[in-house]
Amino acid sequence: MTVSVQVWDLPLRLFHWLLAAAVAGAIITGEIGGGLMDWHGRIGVLILGLLVFRVIWGFAGTPHARFGSFIPTPAKIAAYRKGQWQGHGHNPFGALAVFALLGILAALVGLGLFANDDIAFHGPLFELVDKSASDSLTGWHARIFNILAVLIGLHLAAIVFYVRVKKQNLVIPMLTGRKIVPKDQPVQAARLSVLRSVAVLAIAVAAAWTVGSGVLLPHPPPAAVAPAAATPSW
Amino acid sequence: MKSKLLFALLLSTTSLAAFAGRAEDQQVKFRQSAYSFAAWNCAKIKKQVVEQPETYNKEQVIAAANAVAAVANSGLGALYGAGTDQATGWKKSRLKPEFFDKQEEAKKVALAFIKESNELAKVAATGDVAAIKAQFGKVGETCKNCHDGFRVRD
Repeated sequence: MTVSVQVWDLPLRLFHWLLAAAVAGAIITGEIGGGLMDWHGRIGVLILGLLVFRVIWGFAGTPHARFGSFIPTPAKIAAYRKGQWQGHGHNPFGALAVFALLGILAALVGLGLFANDDIAFHGPLFELVDKSASDSLTGWHARIFNILAVLIGLHLAAIVFYVRVKKQNLVIPMLTGRKIVPKDQPVQAARLSVLRSVAVLAIAVAAAWTVGSGVLLPHPPPAAVAPAAATPSW
Repeated sequence: MKSKLLFALLLSTTSLAAFAGRAEDQQVKFRQSAYSFAAWNCAKIKKQVVEQPETYNKEQVIAAANAVAAVANSGLGALYGAGTDQATGWKKSRLKPEFFDKQEEAKKVALAFIKESNELAKVAATGDVAAIKAQFGKVGETCKNCHDGFRVRD
């Protein structure tokens, strides 16, 4: 006997697919460069907001969204390898992937805020560091992107592995939020608080806006200036 | 007398050489200066066309675009002599050594930079801000293609 249970709450699923789309967009715009770098920067700020949301949701979300429920301890990993792990949320290896992806994305966004492309683009917090520091942060931004590329490859390969070998489709639950499980397994009740979702969303938007809008810079750009008048005609 | 003359000659040539620097260093200095000058002009275009279009000044953008095109058309290839990947201009060159093995590819990115810069100068003259913005992005892509292919990462 099986039963369908709620595993991923709606905010978590929205977060996941928005993040996937944003990362794809960031990779494409970053690789092409030129005029698309402005979009690369905007997408980076969006990813920052998504990460802030996810981190808070890791403490305030429904049970399977909480970090505490899926910390991949050695005991859990050992149990999983023996086929004794029981749970409906992230299994210990999935949990490792979650933390690795969130960590590397946070590093990429953090470095990108101070980066510049040595052409005509710089991140929203570029002015807080000097050019040579920005150049070296940019170098690391580009280098650690390779780690993200590997993690994305593993993430996608794991999905294929689960479908082909373990006969488990991980994508459908991430779309519907529901998973089919044996009836005799204990199920945690998960009630989503709309108020709490909106509050966490508001914090995430505020964080992204604070970083992206330039209010943290020592000289915020004045609303209306006429530098042309101050520039000599020669 | 003769040795004194010789000494004076030696002194003047060595000091001249010290002033001029090694030829490779000099080339790197010129090319770093050229790209810095182009960057200054690109920053002006970016500000007036992309970041704060309310500050758009047609003449200034035309002047900046012409300056970028002038840099692109100045024959920069002459500044990429053998050994300049190891030379130091205002700072150490970041040119990758494989630049010298990939001359065909280098020529391609250089010609793309020239082509798109010339187009930018043409578009700037029309005063069509949206078109300038789009073409400015294309010039930036040619910059990036060269950076990705031939410049050592910081």
